[in-house]
Amino acid sequence: MASARPAKDAILEVDGIVTRFGKQTIHDGVSFSVPRGQLVALIGGSGTGKSVLLREIIGLMRPTAGTVRLLGTDVWKASATELSKVRSRFGMMFQDGALFSSLDVAHNVAVPLLEHTNLAPELIWPLVQLRIAQAGLPPDTGVKMPSELSGGMRKRAAIARALALEPEVIFLDEPTSGLDPITARAFDKLVRFLVDDLGVTVFLVTHDLDTLLTVVDRLIVLAKGKVLADGSVSEVMETNDAWVQSYFSVRTMHGESQTKAG
Amino acid sequence: MTLRSRDTPIQRQLASIETSDGGAILHLTGDWRLPHVQAVTAALMALPKPARVVALDGGSLTALDTAGALAVLRYLQRIGADPKSAAPRNFTPHHQRIVELVAGQFAKLPSVGKPHSESYATTVGRDAVEFVELLISYVQFLGYTAAGIGTLILHPWKLRLKELAAQFQQVGITAIPVVVLVTFLIGVVIAYLLGLQAEKYGASIFVVDGVAIGMAREFSPILVAVIIAGRSGAAFTAQLGTMKLTEETDAIRVLGLSPMDVLILPRVFAIVVALPLLVFLGVVMGILGGMLMANVTLGITPATYIERLHAALHLKHVVAGLVKAPVFAFFIAIIGIRMGMTVSRDTRAIGVNTTSTVVQSIVSVILLDALFAVVFQKLGV
Repeated sequence: MASARPAKDAILEVDGIVTRFGKQTIHDGVSFSVPRGQLVALIGGSGTGKSVLLREIIGLMRPTAGTVRLLGTDVWKASATELSKVRSRFGMMFQDGALFSSLDVAHNVAVPLLEHTNLAPELIWPLVQLRIAQAGLPPDTGVKMPSELSGGMRKRAAIARALALEPEVIFLDEPTSGLDPITARAFDKLVRFLVDDLGVTVFLVTHDLDTLLTVVDRLIVLAKGKVLADGSVSEVMETNDAWVQSYFSVRTMHGESQTKAG
Repeated sequence: MTLRSRDTPIQRQLASIETSDGGAILHLTGDWRLPHVQAVTAALMALPKPARVVALDGGSLTALDTAGALAVLRYLQRIGADPKSAAPRNFTPHHQRIVELVAGQFAKLPSVGKPHSESYATTVGRDAVEFVELLISYVQFLGYTAAGIGTLILHPWKLRLKELAAQFQQVGITAIPVVVLVTFLIGVVIAYLLGLQAEKYGASIFVVDGVAIGMAREFSPILVAVIIAGRSGAAFTAQLGTMKLTEETDAIRVLGLSPMDVLILPRVFAIVVALPLLVFLGVVMGILGGMLMANVTLGITPATYIERLHAALHLKHVVAGLVKAPVFAFFIAIIGIRMGMTVSRDTRAIGVNTTSTVVQSIVSVILLDALFAVVFQKLGV
C-alpha cells in the first residue's frame, strides 16, 4: 500500500543531497524517503555525515545541492512562515538533550506550547505534566533544573519537549548514546511506544546495535557519501559490503564468545 | 429522543451530551487535536453538567490526539464523574488506544498546576544564607591559595614559568593600550575640571598638584584595577569554568599535576605583578594627559608643569598608590579563580559566575580603597 503511492504518504523525502565542505565531499547524492508511521534508523561510520544530514533535513544547515521535502514542504525553498509551520509539526531531540539550562523541566516542555499555541495556562500545565509522564519521567521532575538530571532523564525530558506539540515526526540524534544498557533498552521501548501507540514517525541516528536489532523497522546505511543499503535489518545484514559485514560481525562475535564462555 | 444542549453552532460541532435513562452519553465530534484544544475546552465548559456520564462516544471524531483526550478527561474530573465509569465506544482502534493511554497516565498526574513562586521572606533568607556561605568559601579558598603559595616558597622550582609568562602576557602586556587610553583621558579631564576652578583664584599652577597627586594616589589604582577586574577577572572565571565543565581540571589532577600549580598560582602571580606596573603606567599617562590640557587651556608650559611636578609629587604619594595595587590584584585573582573553579555542571553557570566575578571584584576594589584611605589617614601618609 505504501509503495503504491509513496510520494503522498511520505513524511520525509530526501533527494540527491550533496554536501561539500571546501574540497571535502560529505554527501554525494543521498536519496531516500520515509513513510508515515515507521521507525527508521540511519547508521554509518564516524565522519560519514549522519548528523550533518540530520541538520540539513530539519533546516539548520543548507546542503550544497539536493532537496529535502519534510511533511510536504521543501525545507530549503520554503518561506520563513512556511518553515515555522513545519517546525511546529516535528520534534527534535539533540544528543545531550539541549535543554535550556535556565529553565526547569516543566518550563522547557512548555516553551513550544507557549510559543506556538495560544492555549490558556490552565490547559498548558496539565498538558506539560502529561508530556512528562509520556516520556516516562516521575511527576516531580517538572520542578527540577536540567543540571539536576541524569543523562537518561535529560534525554527523556528532551523527548517530552519534542512531544509537546503532538508532532507527526520526531528526529532523534543518538538517543541511547551515553546510557547504560538497561536505561538504553527502556529508552528503546519509549521510542517504540511513540510509534505504535501515538502514531508518531521516528527517524533516528544511532550506533546502538541493540536498538537496531530490536526496535527498528527500517535501516538506512550511509557510507562513502551515498546510501549503501536500505531495508529491514535482516535485509541490510545480508548486504555484501565489507563495512556492513564488519559492523554486524562485532555483534555476532560478541555473542559467540559469550556462548563459548558459558 | 436526544436532548441537545443549547450552544453555539461551532461548539456543538465538537461536543454534546445525550441524556438517556441510564445516564448521560458524551458525544465527541470533529477534530480534537492540539490546535483546537482551546475550542474543545470551551465547548465542554458550555455543556450541562450531568450527574453521571456512562459512555464516551467517539464515533464522529475525525482526529484525536493526547491533548484532546486530556481535555475530555479533565472535563469528566471537573464535573465529578469517574473517568473509569465512562466507557469509550465507537472509537477507532487508534483513538481508543490514545484515550486509554492518557487515562492511564491521567490518574497519576499530580494536581499541581504551574509551579508556584516562593515568598519574599524565603528569597531574602536564602540569599542571606548564600552570602554567608560565599564568605566562608572565600576564606577556605584563601587558605587553600595561601597554602599553595607557602609550598611554592619552600619549593620555588615548582613555579611554572611558562604558564606565568603566558598569563602575564594576557593580563599585563595586552592590557597596555586600554590602560594608556583611559588614564590619559582621565588626566585630561581632571586637569580641565581643576583648571576651571583654580583659574578663578589665579591658582592655575596648583592644577599640577591636583592631577599628579590625584592620579598617583587614587585614580590610576582604582581605574586600572576596575579595568583589569573586567578584563582578566572575568576571563579567569570563563576560562576556568569552561575547563571545569569539560573536565580539563579533573584531567590535570589525574595526570598527577596540581591545578594549584598549573592554573591558580600562575594567574595569581601574573596579576599581582602586572597590576602595579600598569598602575605606574597609568600614573605617568594621567600626568601627561594633564600636561597637555594644562598647556592648552591654562597656558602652563610643559617645562613649568614638570618643575611644579617635582615640588608637588612626593614619593610617598606614588608609593601609596602602588602599595594598593597588589592587594587589589590579589583580590581580583582570588575572586575570578574561585568563581571559575566553582562553576557547576551546566553552561549557564559560566555566564552567571562571570557576571558575579566582575561585580564582586569591583565592589571589593572600592571597599579596599576606602579601607586604605582610613589606614593612610591614621598613619598620616
